[in-house]
Order: sequence, then C-alpha cells, then structure tokens
Amino acid sequence: MKNKLLPTTVVGSHPKPKWLNHLIVEFEQGNLDKGVMESAFNDSVRAVVKVQELAGLDIFWDGEMRREEMTSYFAENIDGFTVYGPVRVWGNNYYKKPAITGELRYRDEFSLSDYRFLSSLTDRGIKVPLTGPYTIVDWSFNEHYNTKEDAVYALAEVINEELKALVAAGADFIQIDDPAISTHVDELEVAKKSVEIATKGVKAYIGLHICYGDYSKLYPQVLDFPVDQLDFELANKNFEDIKIFREHDFTKDIGFGCVDVHTKRVESVAEIKENITKSFEMVEPKQVYVDPDCGVKLLSPQKAFEKLKNMCDAAEELREEL
Amino acid sequence: MEFVTSMAGSYPRPDWFKLHLKKQEGSQKGVAGLIDDRYVKALKQVLDEQDKAQIQLKTDGQLLWHNMLCHLCYKIEGFAPGGLIRFYDNNMYYQKPRVESELKRKNSIILSEYLKARESGHDIKPVLSCYTLTKLSSNSFYSSDDDFLQALASVLNQEARDLADAGARVIQVDEPALLSADKEGLEIAKKAFEVLVKDVDASFVLSTYYADASKAFAELLEFPVQGIGLDFVEGKDINLKLIKEHGLDLDLQAGVVDARTTRMEDPANVSKLVSEITKAVDSDRLYVCPNMGLEYLPYVKAAQKLSVLSDSIRGGVLR
Ligand SMILES: [Zn+2]
Repeated sequence: MKNKLLPTTVVGSHPKPKWLNHLIVEFEQGNLDKGVMESAFNDSVRAVVKVQELAGLDIFWDGEMRREEMTSYFAENIDGFTVYGPVRVWGNNYYKKPAITGELRYRDEFSLSDYRFLSSLTDRGIKVPLTGPYTIVDWSFNEHYNTKEDAVYALAEVINEELKALVAAGADFIQIDDPAISTHVDELEVAKKSVEIATKGVKAYIGLHICYGDYSKLYPQVLDFPVDQLDFELANKNFEDIKIFREHDFTKDIGFGCVDVHTKRVESVAEIKENITKSFEMVEPKQVYVDPDCGVKLLSPQKAFEKLKNMCDAAEELREEL
Repeated sequence: MEFVTSMAGSYPRPDWFKLHLKKQEGSQKGVAGLIDDRYVKALKQVLDEQDKAQIQLKTDGQLLWHNMLCHLCYKIEGFAPGGLIRFYDNNMYYQKPRVESELKRKNSIILSEYLKARESGHDIKPVLSCYTLTKLSSNSFYSSDDDFLQALASVLNQEARDLADAGARVIQVDEPALLSADKEGLEIAKKAFEVLVKDVDASFVLSTYYADASKAFAELLEFPVQGIGLDFVEGKDINLKLIKEHGLDLDLQAGVVDARTTRMEDPANVSKLVSEITKAVDSDRLYVCPNMGLEYLPYVKAAQKLSVLSDSIRGGVLR
C-alpha cells in the first residue's frame, strides 16, 4: 500500500468548524432540516480535505465531522444499543454512554458512505478509522450479555461485516482505534481475539491505534495482534517509550506519533524531523508512517493545520536526506 | 428488620443542571458551582428521587462536586490542580491535586452544601475522603506521606466538627485506596483517622468499594470509627466470608446493588444477599445502599437502581 517512504497521515479527528458546531446544536433542537445538516457535514468534509491537501498529507481521513464521540456514534448505528443519557467523563464534560440492551446486530453501514464521499473528493490515500469492539464495549454498559467477552465478540462480528463492505467499496487501509486496551492489560487476550474476529477475511492493510497508558504492559504481546501496523503516541511521553519497543524486535510497521496533540505549542519542522528520526532507533525507515499522537480535534483549526503542515514538511525533508 | 436504607454518595446531576453548571462555570472560569436558586432546585430534585425510592439516610448527591477529590482539595489552601488522570478503572478522569504549601482550612469545605441540604428536613449524610485523597494526589511539600496525611486529617477534623454541630449524625469517609494499602499505609491511615474523628460528635463510616477488603479487613476493624462500608457487589464472596469469619462489632454500610451498571438486579437476589449479611451483622447496625455513588449512571437509571434497592427490602424474603 505504501509507495513512498515515511508516508504522512492523521489518526482521524479534526477540529470541527465553528459554524458546524452551531448547526449541530440547531439540528438537535429541531430547527434545521436533515438535508441542510447533511450538506453542512459534506461541506465541512470538503474543508478538511482542503486543509489536508494544503498541509501535504499523503493519507487522508474526513476529520470525523459526523462523529461526536468515539462510542455513541457507532452504538447509535448498530442494533442492540440504547443510549439513556449522558454520563460524566470529567468536570462538566459528559459522553453518551451506550448500554447494550439486546443482541448486537448489523443494521446498516456506519462508515461506508463517509468513505465513498471522501474518495469522491480526493485521489490521495485514505485510511478509515473505526473504534474497536473492545473499546466500544468497555465504554458501554452491558445489560444483555453474560460476560464482557461475549459482548466484545458479538460486536466484533458486526464490525467485521462493515470492514468487508468497506474493502468491497475500495478501502485498502483500515485503522482500529482501541484506546481502552491499555487500561485493562489483563484483558489483552480478549482484545486480541476481538481484532481477529473483526479483521477476518478483510483484505486491507490494518492498523491498530492505542493511545494513553503504559505500553510496557502490553508490549511485546501486542505484536501478536493480527495487524500490519501499530500506531502509538510517542511525542506526548517524550519518546521515552522507544526504550520499551527496542527490547523486542518490532515486527510490525509503526504509526509513529511524532506531534503532541495535547499542547498548543506548534513544534518546528526541525524539531519534528528530529522526532521522526528517533523512530529509526527501533525500526527501519520503510516501516514508519508519520502521524500525530492522536486525533487533533481538541486543537484550534489554525494550530491543527500548522502542526500537520510542519509534520509533512519535516517528513519531506527527511525523505530527501535518506 | 430494622436496618436503614442509605445512599453511598453521589447522585447524577439532572440534565438541565449540567447545562446550567457548564454555562455558569464557562463564564466564570475556575469558579465552582454556586449555591443559588438553581442549585437548590436540583438539590430538591435529587432529594425527592431518594425519598420516592424510600432511602432513609440521604446525601445531597454531591451535585457541585466535579469528582471525588477536587471538590474537597480546592477549598483547602495548599492544593493546586494538576493534569487529568483516570479515576481507578472508570472511564472518568480527575485533575490530580498537587500539594504546594501547608494545608489550611481557610473556609469551610462542604459545610454550606450540607446546611442547604439540611434545610429540606431530611436526614443527610455528608461525605469526606482522607487517606484516598492523599494517595491520589502528588505531594512535593510535605517531607513524608505521614506528614501530608496528618495535615489533611487535621483540616478535615475542623470540617467534621462543624458538620456534626450542624446536625450530621453520620459522616462517611470514602477510602477505596485503603483496600490496596500496605501495612505502613494502614498504620498511618489509622493515625490520621484518630486525628480526623477527634472530638467530633458524630459517628464515622469508613467506606470502601471497587474490591473486597481481604488485604485490610483485620486492620480496618481497629480504626477509630463506628462503621465500615463494604462492597458486596464487586467484592461479594470474600466480603461475606470476612464478616462471617471475623464477625463485626461495628455498623456495616453494605453496598448491595451495582452502581456501575444500568443492568437492574432482580430484587429477590438482592434480598437474599441482604439476609446473608444479616446472619453476620445485627440488622439494627446495618445500612444497605448502592456499592458506591450513583454518578456512573445516566440520570434516569439512578432512581431505578434505588428502587431495586427498596423493592428488594419491601417485597423480599426478609418480610
Ligand atoms: Zn488516540
């Protein structure tokens, strides 16, 4: 799937334009019809595509303009989930924590039309990120299944169906987002089996994004996951985790988080170049994909752009030097 | 059957109140929620919910608390907020408090909320936290954990005295961290509790949850408190075994319904569990409650949980 060294990409989310947030509120209050809302979503994706072009990215995603959160978006589109209301994450911030109240079943696509729309807008590579079944279940209540495992595996089957549909439509790069894995390392086997089920028969390049947490507790075991790439945040922890990864032969490609999304400070091109170079301490350059630590949605649109742009410029300069 | 139905702490904020707080705090950064007419309305709403579910010993629902720690810390001089960090294994975060200077109680901490809740005429139980609060904070001021803990205990002691004077007959102290404390931790925590309860005219319940108490049970029995809280959901079998084997010459606050899932228990099963517990503990020394605060649930599910609790007692085998 790679045709150049150090391809640059995003983890997924992008800051929503202010006007889109306004329209979402209006829509939720019933003041906007569905057609207008849809065209607003589409226009915001067009804007994100333009930003990614200007930044110089090689592999795009649509910035997740339609997704409010990593869990409820999927839950609302899969049979068997009910959302009763918001639950606190911290302070005044809440998320719509879904409850599994029935058999989990595929209802209709939940990313396919996003993929199709994006591919109509660009000839660049596309990566489709989806929240992994393990994380969705971990962030949901379970009223229906006897065990958490049962729920995870049932959801993995649903996601498998969607991934196959994506590949049939032309998608060749899928990223499974599983941040909950690092919070329950005792359930690593369950998570691994869920990825196996979700990706079974899916003929695409598969990445696994895990942010937060202590990587020493899941490495090297995570090398046994049936994926092509592991995508980690490294900048946020000052690249200290490279030590951990060097202890065993890193047998996958790496999505190398080289830009910190938790700070407003825009790293310079020189600094990011140096960051990317650190990946060569653990893998060959041909194994490296360049991306930010995580989605950039919490940054301002301007900072997000500047960070992505500097990241792409840094990769370009390195490519010439290598 | 003389035991008391009780709350374990938090109650989810009504949805309209969430929006109100967000607006209020958004416009006045750093200002904690105010005790105004909106707050009073929300307080009444959650007290009514508890009343409907026949909860006898109520809490104010900790409606202004942003989490279990910061609400206490930031009213105590010497603490500053740090970075966001996960609260146990919940998908919930808190700003890790940092001690930067000597801890002092300049103003009251939760007293004004307690007084407001008392105006309702209900029996209200205030909630504090001591050892756990120090374990989940970072300290670069005090030279030892012991000093830090003693200083906090002495601040909280002043608060507890005022709470008791204001009419609190039971004060709950949340201490999930004691379940994983080592010998030394349990030792300094016990010393801190001696400071915390000194000359306070109320009975104290040391509340634990998230796990069983196997590593700390014998030591907890020696703490200068009148009651302990045990989680009979997440630590059910072992906690049952502990109270049967050791006996319990204290009040027991028994968490018997799971506050972390929207799945509703069968009241008959809860009822069976409560009667198991009464084999080891006099029912007049028993408080039955959810295993922890209810803020992990969406608002509509909290009342339902409390109803399961009271149904299990009303219609259950105990009658
Ligand atoms: Zn991430």
